[in-house]
Amino acid sequence: MRQTPSQTAGPFLHIGMMPDTAPLALARPPGEAITLRGVILDADSAPVTDALIEVWHPESGWARGATDGQGGWRLAVTRPASAPFVSLWIIARGINTPLSTRLYFPDADWQDDPAMALIPPPRRRTLVALRGADGAYRLDIHLGGEAETVFFDI
Amino acid sequence: MTPLDRTRHPPALTPGYFSSVTRAPREGLIALDPGEAGMTGPVFGSQAIGPLDDDLIRNAALPGEQAIGPRILVHGRVLDESGRGVPGALLEIWQANAGGRYRHARDGYPAPLDPNFSGFGRVLTGEDGGYRFDTVMPGAYPFPNGPNAWRPAHIHFSVFGLAFAQRLVTQMYFEGDPMIARCPIVATLPTVQAVEALTARYDPARDRPMDARAYRFDIVLRGRLATPMEP
Repeated sequence: MRQTPSQTAGPFLHIGMMPDTAPLALARPPGEAITLRGVILDADSAPVTDALIEVWHPESGWARGATDGQGGWRLAVTRPASAPFVSLWIIARGINTPLSTRLYFPDADWQDDPAMALIPPPRRRTLVALRGADGAYRLDIHLGGEAETVFFDI
Repeated sequence: MTPLDRTRHPPALTPGYFSSVTRAPREGLIALDPGEAGMTGPVFGSQAIGPLDDDLIRNAALPGEQAIGPRILVHGRVLDESGRGVPGALLEIWQANAGGRYRHARDGYPAPLDPNFSGFGRVLTGEDGGYRFDTVMPGAYPFPNGPNAWRPAHIHFSVFGLAFAQRLVTQMYFEGDPMIARCPIVATLPTVQAVEALTARYDPARDRPMDARAYRFDIVLRGRLATPMEP
């Protein structure tokens, strides 16, 4: 059987995916609690204010967040003990098929990760977070433009 | 895991759908085996489902009241590419009301809100991958995409399968709707067969007589579940 095609989530995804009354949540796995944050920007560097981002790794757990009026997002997960990255998944109005990327931890051994070897060296840094003064790992995601983030066909 | 079939899903850049132009990556995607981590995913059990989550006619209604609109039920199965039902798949659902208005701060369409309808639903597939929910037929509505663009009646779906690599977000349309062929978002789909796959069929055998008409919508996730071991 053939795969059911994707369609954009549109601008009103919050109704089904971020309901005030019963947010979808899972318990965070045991381990070091960390915060991931950043902004999502379009090809003109305008903030994407109607996106939704999910994070997953078997050791990080799952979390999701919607972007705010400045394109900002924030996710609370567990730091994976055995991997230098977590997977990110992004949808929004104008995104026809979900975008998959990764956040690598700057203090992990990301240079030797096999997925990094597939990426042209100048673009690898688009996936490496910065550690902020607040302790959060910050990764800004550029859907297009000169600083376009690397997206994967997973 | 079988790859995402890029001949089946819309490309990122579809200029006829204006919003895609500044949100489509221009660099090629980097092909990556999902690996062991990609074969896992979050598991949501029945505790994620509220008692009326599969009844959009009543789940936001005042006591004793119901949503306004043509009463329908939507049912089908979530399957893998070998046709095997996917049990325990979580479906998140959202839609406009019968007038084509969303209960959302950014929806300015003048059709009225229904005080008894939120457009939110959630359902978990059973052992055979089957699901069902009750709702009202959503209305068509205009959206800013040139001089006169309308969305056909549709219901949004977000699906969690058994692996994060199976994650799917899509929209379901209704058989016979003349707006389908005119919609710039439908037109992002690469083939007529892809449009057909998102078009629910009227299924009178599953009607609830004197109550609701039934529509059938099957969802095929990428990948194949392991064949159960013979005893």
